[in-house]
Amino acid sequence: MLAKEMLKQSLPLVLLCGIGGLFTGNTLGLMIDLFERIPGLLVIVPGIIALRGNISTAFGSRLGSAYHLGIINEKNMWNNELKQNVLGSLALSMLISIIMGILAYITTVFFFHTSPNPVILIGIVIIAGIISGLILTGLTIIIIYLVFKRGYDPDNITGPALATVGDIITIFCIFATALFMEAIF
Amino acid sequence: MYHWKTIVRYGLPLLTICVLIEIFVGQLLQQQDNLLLERLPIFLISIPVINSVGGNIGSILGAHLASGLHIGSVSLTLKDKTMRETVLTALIMGFITYSFLAIGIYLLGIFTGINMDIHFLNFIGILLATGFVLVCLLSIISVLTAFISFKRGIDPDDVVSPVVTTFGDTLGIILLFLFIGVGGL
Repeated sequence: MLAKEMLKQSLPLVLLCGIGGLFTGNTLGLMIDLFERIPGLLVIVPGIIALRGNISTAFGSRLGSAYHLGIINEKNMWNNELKQNVLGSLALSMLISIIMGILAYITTVFFFHTSPNPVILIGIVIIAGIISGLILTGLTIIIIYLVFKRGYDPDNITGPALATVGDIITIFCIFATALFMEAIF
Repeated sequence: MYHWKTIVRYGLPLLTICVLIEIFVGQLLQQQDNLLLERLPIFLISIPVINSVGGNIGSILGAHLASGLHIGSVSLTLKDKTMRETVLTALIMGFITYSFLAIGIYLLGIFTGINMDIHFLNFIGILLATGFVLVCLLSIISVLTAFISFKRGIDPDDVVSPVVTTFGDTLGIILLFLFIGVGGL
């Protein structure tokens, strides 16, 4: 019963997310020259993608539990619980992006004894992190709203949907920011 | 129930650890830049797919267990029937998804005309081995994380997703390099 419902609701979505992963992978493939030109850029890719996924899936997962506990539902969504969640996610994005930029720079200098331009590397992480954070928080709210409206169990949907859309949006943000920073400096 | 400061306070330490690990993952990628950027870029394209599917399945599993623990339908024992059924479903889902996507990645590689100096079966074997071992390990991690956090009074929703996706990224890439080695490439 549970297994059947879980397969029915989640399998198509996991497959779809995997196809989303193909887009992300393909974008990475397009960035090969950029990775060779900017040392340290490949280092931040897993971190920044994971950060986005972590923050927004935790956000989605909390809203899922809030739904099961009856705190929010499709008729009562725009309440303080949601606002606090949005604020918390955005604050986390900002803080972690700054930490990650600095760490990426230090470890690249330490492991490869090459010095990437710290302004470019740290700038890419922070700008890409914040822009993708803003886009994804908005998207989370839209996805949650649609899930509620259709009466699905949010636990089956929000995590994978957010992680995947998040990956694609984040990698595009990194791509665009890297090109932008390279053009400026 | 939620306050943004609480979300940041609980999220920040865990996410900082995640970022540290992800930077390490990024350094692993940078170490293998010759393989990923020049010799066999098809594996660079595969990485987001492997990680996204593994992370998604682990997170779905975690979200189900978290909601189950919150509403009391899952009890804190490794013999719990609902938990076992959920895990088995996750494993089946993983196997089906990785089979489809391995073929998809290969076709994408041919389609985009990247360097494909690898036999079809060799590639499929490496991807399926990586994917299946990954889903098995992530299921164990997901159950343990959900149970331990719930037992200690921490909301599993805050913890399981980041832990599973971070372990997923690390293990996914380590397993991929491992099986690429086994495949003699």
